[in-house]
Amino acid sequence: MRLVASGAQDSMSGLDDNARFRSVVMPHINEAYRLAHWLTGNRTDAEDVVQDASLRAFRAIREFAGGSARSWVLSIVRNTAYSWLRKNRPAAVVTVEDLEAVELQQANPGDSNGETPEAALIAKVDAEHLRGAIAALPTPFRETLVLRDIEGLDYREIAEATEVPIGTVMSRLARARRRLIATIGKER
Amino acid sequence: MPRSTTDDNSVLLVHAYLDGELDPANALGVTQQMGKEPALLAEAESVKALQQLIHERLPREEAPPGLRARIETSVGGLRRQRAQPSWRALAASIVLTAVVASSSTWFVVGSEPTIMVADSLVSDHIRALMAPEPVDVASSDRHTVKPWFNGRIPESPRVVDLTKQDFPLIGGRIDVLGQTPVPTLVYRHAKHLISLTAMPAESNFKVDRAPRTVKGYNVVHWIENGVSYWAISDLAPKELEDFAQLFRTSLTEL
Repeated sequence: MRLVASGAQDSMSGLDDNARFRSVVMPHINEAYRLAHWLTGNRTDAEDVVQDASLRAFRAIREFAGGSARSWVLSIVRNTAYSWLRKNRPAAVVTVEDLEAVELQQANPGDSNGETPEAALIAKVDAEHLRGAIAALPTPFRETLVLRDIEGLDYREIAEATEVPIGTVMSRLARARRRLIATIGKER
Repeated sequence: MPRSTTDDNSVLLVHAYLDGELDPANALGVTQQMGKEPALLAEAESVKALQQLIHERLPREEAPPGLRARIETSVGGLRRQRAQPSWRALAASIVLTAVVASSSTWFVVGSEPTIMVADSLVSDHIRALMAPEPVDVASSDRHTVKPWFNGRIPESPRVVDLTKQDFPLIGGRIDVLGQTPVPTLVYRHAKHLISLTAMPAESNFKVDRAPRTVKGYNVVHWIENGVSYWAISDLAPKELEDFAQLFRTSLTEL
């Protein structure tokens, strides 16, 4: 009986869902695609992930309670991409424990305050090196950097999209940038 | 020189300052501190250079033109089914019925459920060969075929492109096993069609061994990643095995 009832309800608001989907999800397909691309590492998989994420978003469209639609969509894309990675590239998935180990290492003395490559040096790095260096960042650092420095989300939006506190966003972002600067500075 | 917490904090504040995340009072504090500590100033300069670099070197790529259309199509498919008596709810109730009644449903009767599954799929294959079209969605583009399933069954199957290996994708259809809809992909090799059906391995269709042939059709069965696959064709056994091998070893991103 319950199933029948929910079916009837669906039919009444089916059009409404579609309209919501168009206004909440469709405007952010480009960002969704780029994030999926950075997370999966290639275009074909990015398309699959975005398509899958769109269906998930459509099914959950009534759970969107206002706020940043972009963060909401990107958090679904991110979760979909992570499921995809776990299934297809288990080695690429960085767990929180791994990440903490990385952060501990980085907090060791002498590692960061040493020499910061000069701004003039950084300005000469070519696109390929830059892209490679971003791709080599551990996933949680990479997604934070991509959302801020490529997509231009503010800290609150990034916190929502990646489901961590703002403090974590801040430390990940700083670490991601420092690593990136160190890597591209070294390559020259 | 171990970094203290305050050092760490001021670094974070420099980044936040550059990102425009600080209120005026904190922003003032950071600029004053940068004036006093060259390391912080250097950090700020390199971060600004990095941001500039990213902005200049990495133009933001747009989603491929076909992607939006495919999303609209697959979501549109969902919507139509919702407007009908909620297809997914219906499917769920069918599965539920199958589970509840599993001791009496046909495919687990006796000790040879295997034969029954293969029998049923071979019948579907034959029926498809005799129908005007062996598929419900005709396309060689896996990006069309996969989403087509998405709106119709709970989980769409893995679809790989084997065109280069001479097994082009023809399309897909939904077969019905017992009372459960299952996705079937159709590939072609020379003039032979191959029906490839996927279903969860952990289901009522659990099998111990599969027959090699049914009614003259060759059958290859394997389980991978929790999915049970059945390939059926009048291809020679060796070629059908080759197909199965190619499918198994193909990465999805092909």
